[in-house]
Amino acid sequence: MNMLTVARPRSLDAISALMSDGRPLHFIAGGTDMLIAGRLRPKDGILVDLGQVAELSGISVVGQHIRIGAATTVARLAEDPVLAARLPALSQAAAECGAVQIRNRATIGGNIAEAAPAADLLPPLWVADARLEIRDHDGSRLVAIADYIASPGRLITAILLPDPDPAPKSGFAKLGSRRELTISKLNLAMLMRQEGGRIVDLRIVAGAIGPRPQRLKLAEAALGGRFLSPKALQLFAKALSDEVDTAIPTRSSRVWKRRAIVGLGYDVIAAMTGHSPRHPLFAGAA
Amino acid sequence: MKFNLTVNGRTAVVEAEPLEPLSTVLRDRLGLRGLKEGCCEGECGACTVLLDGAPVHACLTPGFQAEGRDITTIEGLGDGPGLLSGIQRAFVEVGAVQCGYCTPGMVMAAEGLLRANPDPDDAEIRHALAGNICRCTGYDSIVRAIATEAASRNRVSA
Ligand SMILES: Cc1cc2nc3c(=O)[nH]c(=O)nc-3n(C[C@H](O)[C@H](O)[C@H](O)COP(=O)(O)OP(=O)(O)OC[C@H]3O[C@@H](n4cnc5c(N)ncnc54)[C@H](O)[C@@H]3O)c2cc1C
Ligand code: FES
Ligand code: FES
Repeated sequence: MNMLTVARPRSLDAISALMSDGRPLHFIAGGTDMLIAGRLRPKDGILVDLGQVAELSGISVVGQHIRIGAATTVARLAEDPVLAARLPALSQAAAECGAVQIRNRATIGGNIAEAAPAADLLPPLWVADARLEIRDHDGSRLVAIADYIASPGRLITAILLPDPDPAPKSGFAKLGSRRELTISKLNLAMLMRQEGGRIVDLRIVAGAIGPRPQRLKLAEAALGGRFLSPKALQLFAKALSDEVDTAIPTRSSRVWKRRAIVGLGYDVIAAMTGHSPRHPLFAGAA
Repeated sequence: MKFNLTVNGRTAVVEAEPLEPLSTVLRDRLGLRGLKEGCCEGECGACTVLLDGAPVHACLTPGFQAEGRDITTIEGLGDGPGLLSGIQRAFVEVGAVQCGYCTPGMVMAAEGLLRANPDPDDAEIRHALAGNICRCTGYDSIVRAIATEAASRNRVSA
């Protein structure tokens, strides 16, 4: 008889052993996506609880990288001082992910594997060029987050963030109908450095304007290499709206998203550069 | 599957389906009907319990994952059999209970907040309740009840 059994491994080696068992594996971390009422749930194979594996949990600095165990909760991310200093975009996204009950259970690995179009942790991980440590029955390897594709039996064990010195500036903003609960209807992460006031190494990624996060290269080109000025910001605003027009030309949400994304972009820049969003620099908003 | 749960300090053996939510296990298998199941989607907060002191949605937590952890439900808060705890008394005295459906979840979210942050301001209280929906009170009285309880705990410990 086919049925679902539960395994609660205590080490990665024990998970690897399950991978050669031959039965389908279904990983469960916080369960906040898997247990939603009405969702299709696994009926046979092995339900593998990731919650007992110490190697999968916690945040550490390893050489030139920050290593985040895949089963680390979103609440832990939100309160971690190292992350807040080195990749504030990720801390901010974690702090705004659902309500406290969700943050206490939801994990970063689950957010990546579930790959919802509006998943909030993805844009910050994309701008930071995160790599994922993957393990399946063929062994383990590293993949760039933009190249990751979820697949049954493929475990994310950790997320590796480059940790350059000095840390770049970064930030995140989102919009949802009930801000704290609903998955964003639009979100945006940015990362940049400033050299003598000039914006360099700018990376911008938006969620919820397509099935996957989108790198906004037009907007990067509009602002990259420039000083912050009302003129540069106007070009940036226009580029952001153009990006939305190109990404979702036929969606009715295009009409508000092409305006809303400018507000998000300005908010993130203001936060990263220590300005108030009401600073005259931003007066020419769309 | 069979597993042990420690609820309000007492351990029970439970037999449940692998993905059976903790809310159903507590209500239907252990008879703890204080917590409510409103939406079963993590949106309403009526099923909030404390897991090792931190508020979680029991409807989105598989029962077996709570094995080996401390579960506190509304039944476990009282200062003795039939007695209310401080936070529950504050809800009653301030008039923060109308139909009562959201109350057990609200109280558990509030208790979780006060354990993590004994002196929250109104914004922090509202933030901590963002995952709990109330159709009746308009929330003001709930925020006041929690602020009242925080003040009285701080008086006692000062
Ligand atoms: C009310 C509510 C509000 C929410 N709000 C937000 C929000 O604001 N922003 C947001 O981004 N998300 C939100 N979510 C979605 C959800 O909480 C996140 O996607 C969460 O991070 C998922 O993690 P989990 O550990 O709970 O996943 P689980 O439910 O345990 O797993 C989800 C999927 O990922 C797979 N998986 C889990 N871990 C791994 C791993 N390490 N390797 C490979 N596969 C894995 C599982 O097999 C499963 O298919 C919300 C959900 C709810 C119910
Ligand atoms: S029943 Fe769990 S949040 Fe509504
Ligand atoms: S008192 Fe009725 S839902 Fe809150």
